[in-house]
Amino acid sequence: MHDKILRLSLFNLKKNKREVLGIIFMTMVTVLMLSVVLINQKKIDTAFDESFTRSGCVRQGVLFKADKYRTAFANILREGYGIEKVNEGCLIYSSMVDVLGRDGETVAYNLMFATEKTERKMEDFRKIEHLPKEEIVEIEHPIWLPEGFRIKKGYDVGDAFVILKNGKEYPFLIAGFYEAGLMSNDGYSHKVILSDEDYALFAMLFDSSKDYECYGLFFDGEEIDFDRYLEDCNEVASENLSFTTHYHCYRWEKLNETSFLEIFMMMIIGISAVTLIASLFMIRHKISGDIEDQMQQIGVLEALGYRSVEISLSYLYEYVIAGGLGSVLGAVIACLITPFVNAGITVMLGRRVDGDGGITGAVIAAATVLLLVVLFALLKARQVKNYPPVVALRKGIRTHHFGKNICPLDKMHGNINLGLAMKGFFGNLKASWGILICIITAGTAIMFSALTYDFSRNGAYGFAATMGTDWDLLMVYTLSDSDIDAFRKELTTLPQVRKAIKGFNGEHVSVKGSSDSAEVISFGDFADSENIHPYEGRLPQYDNEVMIGLRRSRAENIKVGDSIVLEYNGLEKTYIVSGIVGTIQNGGTVVYLTNDGYKRLNIFAAENVVKVYPAEGVSISELQAVIDAHFGGTARQAAKGGANGQSMEEKIRAAAQEKIAAMLNQYGVTDVDYAVQVGDELITGNSRNFVIKEFFSYEGIIKTQMVPIAETTKKFCFYALILVSGIVAVLITIITSNDVRRQRHALGIMKGLGYSSKDLMLQLALKYMPVILAGTVIATICGLWINNLFWGLLFASFTKVNIQTVVVTDIFLLIFCFAVAYLSAGRIRKISVTELMTE
Amino acid sequence: MASSILQTEKLCKSFSNGGSLQHVIKNLDLEIIEGDFTVIMGASGSGKSTLLYALSGMDKPTMGKIRFGEKEIQDYSNDELAIFRRGNCGFVFQSVYLLDNQTVLDNVLTGALIVQKNTPKLVKKAKELLKKVGIEEGLWKKYPNQLSGGEAQRVGIVRAIINDPKILFADEPTGQLNSASGKDVLDIFTEVHKNGQSIVLVTHDLKTALRGTRVLYLRDGGVVGDHRMPAFGEDDEKERRAHLTAFLEEMGW
Repeated sequence: MHDKILRLSLFNLKKNKREVLGIIFMTMVTVLMLSVVLINQKKIDTAFDESFTRSGCVRQGVLFKADKYRTAFANILREGYGIEKVNEGCLIYSSMVDVLGRDGETVAYNLMFATEKTERKMEDFRKIEHLPKEEIVEIEHPIWLPEGFRIKKGYDVGDAFVILKNGKEYPFLIAGFYEAGLMSNDGYSHKVILSDEDYALFAMLFDSSKDYECYGLFFDGEEIDFDRYLEDCNEVASENLSFTTHYHCYRWEKLNETSFLEIFMMMIIGISAVTLIASLFMIRHKISGDIEDQMQQIGVLEALGYRSVEISLSYLYEYVIAGGLGSVLGAVIACLITPFVNAGITVMLGRRVDGDGGITGAVIAAATVLLLVVLFALLKARQVKNYPPVVALRKGIRTHHFGKNICPLDKMHGNINLGLAMKGFFGNLKASWGILICIITAGTAIMFSALTYDFSRNGAYGFAATMGTDWDLLMVYTLSDSDIDAFRKELTTLPQVRKAIKGFNGEHVSVKGSSDSAEVISFGDFADSENIHPYEGRLPQYDNEVMIGLRRSRAENIKVGDSIVLEYNGLEKTYIVSGIVGTIQNGGTVVYLTNDGYKRLNIFAAENVVKVYPAEGVSISELQAVIDAHFGGTARQAAKGGANGQSMEEKIRAAAQEKIAAMLNQYGVTDVDYAVQVGDELITGNSRNFVIKEFFSYEGIIKTQMVPIAETTKKFCFYALILVSGIVAVLITIITSNDVRRQRHALGIMKGLGYSSKDLMLQLALKYMPVILAGTVIATICGLWINNLFWGLLFASFTKVNIQTVVVTDIFLLIFCFAVAYLSAGRIRKISVTELMTE
Repeated sequence: MASSILQTEKLCKSFSNGGSLQHVIKNLDLEIIEGDFTVIMGASGSGKSTLLYALSGMDKPTMGKIRFGEKEIQDYSNDELAIFRRGNCGFVFQSVYLLDNQTVLDNVLTGALIVQKNTPKLVKKAKELLKKVGIEEGLWKKYPNQLSGGEAQRVGIVRAIINDPKILFADEPTGQLNSASGKDVLDIFTEVHKNGQSIVLVTHDLKTALRGTRVLYLRDGGVVGDHRMPAFGEDDEKERRAHLTAFLEEMGW
């Protein structure tokens, strides 16, 4: 008996090759993606841990600005937190250090400079790849980089690593790479090891509010309550140290390094869920079709004494075979591609990932999917029991249609093909639910992928839009005695300048009750800002209003209308929260004040920055070059030297300018006059020749931190778009094919009446359009919601949705679904009306 | 003089049968005259239905020409044939082939709305025709499986003639009906023919063939007899029957 049932299954498999191939493909893709997640999820987790363990790194470190450090801080750790061993060492903290990239363009990294001595206080300084020792000793300025620079950024031993500071180049040669624990990521910083001499030079060079030498305490043990520890230190120091104190710990850095990959894994799970839902729906749809198609055979088998459960098994076998084949293929492919996935994860993580195919994960994925497929098929196949022999032999009671006549043709207006399509749609609404669910899930994935692709397609600039601050501009820092108003006015006369706004250098203030210091983003009038879009409330308008980041709002439960107290240099002021904004700037800790609002807190502050917005088509570097040329360069550039004057006077003036620039830049001198007597001639000059202190733009940091993310995301979304579109195509093809098979008789009659294949294909394609349209609308809403949720939850930021992208994606989805349905209904052409008449 | 509506020239139709070709229609030259009620008879396997499908554009000939008025249709694509059929031909099938999921009225309109767009006018016409063939209003909203065989076939006839086809093809239209229903259906055909409709009907039933004005006899894929009958009602039944029987006996019926 089982032989006969198995034969019926094999017959069905052979008869419906296209549908069976579809199910094999879908289960294969589902298992493949789930296997990739299951195999690699643990690897991501362990790769960081293993690398951390190999490095011998301590699990925590607190960095205090060197001149703020007190020996009591280490004692607090020992006595108050039970830390037995606290290592101590110095590092230079610097944010957004310009480095000459391998392609010659300037990039920026957050760097920590350390000597080997300090490095060994933190970890084992385990060298991975390096030049021969005899060569290293010959290097004038050697530098050791964390391994991530080799893996992620493509540097090699012996390469030049040129740091730019104050317009001067500091060339290093990469002596080698070492395995780093803490401080080896773009988010927090990269610790690089210098010689003692170079470190000493940099300690002098990097000395500003944003770059300074730190005294570090490094220790193992349970993660400390850093907020409490900082309060303890503040008490000892009798000042607020939060602006200049940094905490690094294993958990935070692991989260920072792995979160991006975790997001990818989540996205893969999302897509595999789409394929799984589509597969299960397809199976449901196909079994219904098969049962209806083979109703008389079922009746005959039942009449011969087969029980309904046995007949149901014939359908089950079909899916055990198709689903099993797909699952095995998916699992095998997942194991085979493991080395490539490992390589991908290594690059994304910046730490080595090895390991085998993780057969267990693949087996679990395959077994789970197969089990779901079989269970779903069995539940649907049990429908056979609803057809006793007599009913089955009469092709099921459902063919005796006594229901309401939906969309009667005598009430129809317009095209008959559309009318018949709508009749077909409304006459079988029940079957539309499955399609609706599939279109919603697949459409949501497509919409989300399209939106994510859209803002990553312009490289980093799409991502930069999530910064919650204006980024596509040049910040020009002016010297303190310069006439900033005149300077700004003159800037606006340049054709390359769209607008120029006065502002402040982003100082840090503290938020009372919070351990996070906050960088201030200020505008005279926020209406001038271009990339600050409140998620809730509005932009600050008055000097007692503040807008905060979404992450701070969530973490500290601050809402619009609440008041917060900001503190700067011992002065405290209360501000009303006017709005909340999504921003990734400084981890979402920034606060937004009007210029007047900032002056309430920092009463001596004077505007010292001009934010220059380039005209359309002008790049930041072009803008900088134009301003440089117009204003005769910056103090920074002058400090670099390079006088080419021929006359003695020119040489003297150039040398004097260079000296002045160095004093202005490095020693905080505000005003310098000089006079040099050469023979009878007195050569004089002063620092007022300089207006511009230095330039700053987000370009470098965007290139290093956002370009790789943008590129990876773009590729992922592109492939996800293709994959999900492929799934939609397979799904619609199978539904359509099944429909053509089921309606073969009616379609033959229609052909006999003079309906062409094109008419019938059009009818069939149009029949799905209401549900596809509804699915697309719901998918759009879901896609936008997930997009917001995704960026809001993970980055505490939001992307500005491009309405054009939404519309284009919707139109694409509708046209794509229609085209696939129309083309796959091409089977109608094979229906021969004569064959039907003579059967 | 009545003109020709359909002509064939060396018409051939072959089927592949296990690797060998089976020639069902062989070099057939035929002319169907406008306004005739042409009956095609012949033994089983003589090629009656195959000829009907080829003439009506339901199927493509293997060789030869089919001229419908001024148009030669033998090289039309399937879609062109469909468009040709909807504009020129009506069909009545032995198995009726009503669409199961559509009501009586919708079945009729499905055939009509593909040709004409004026729905109210068509609805009115459909209702008139349905009434005329004895399908009363109470049945218009019924589904095919709620109708008797005779009722279903009458609906099939209305569906076939609603577009005023130039020619009405029928393949054993009474083949599945009891004699009372069969007679009703044939009366409708006669009535339709009296109104000037050209009909080509395939049958092996003598009673059905009696309604024709011209009887063609097919054997081995060729017309071996072409007999003109007086119009139905002009002679009495017995005389017509004798007339036809003599012809058929001559053909070896």
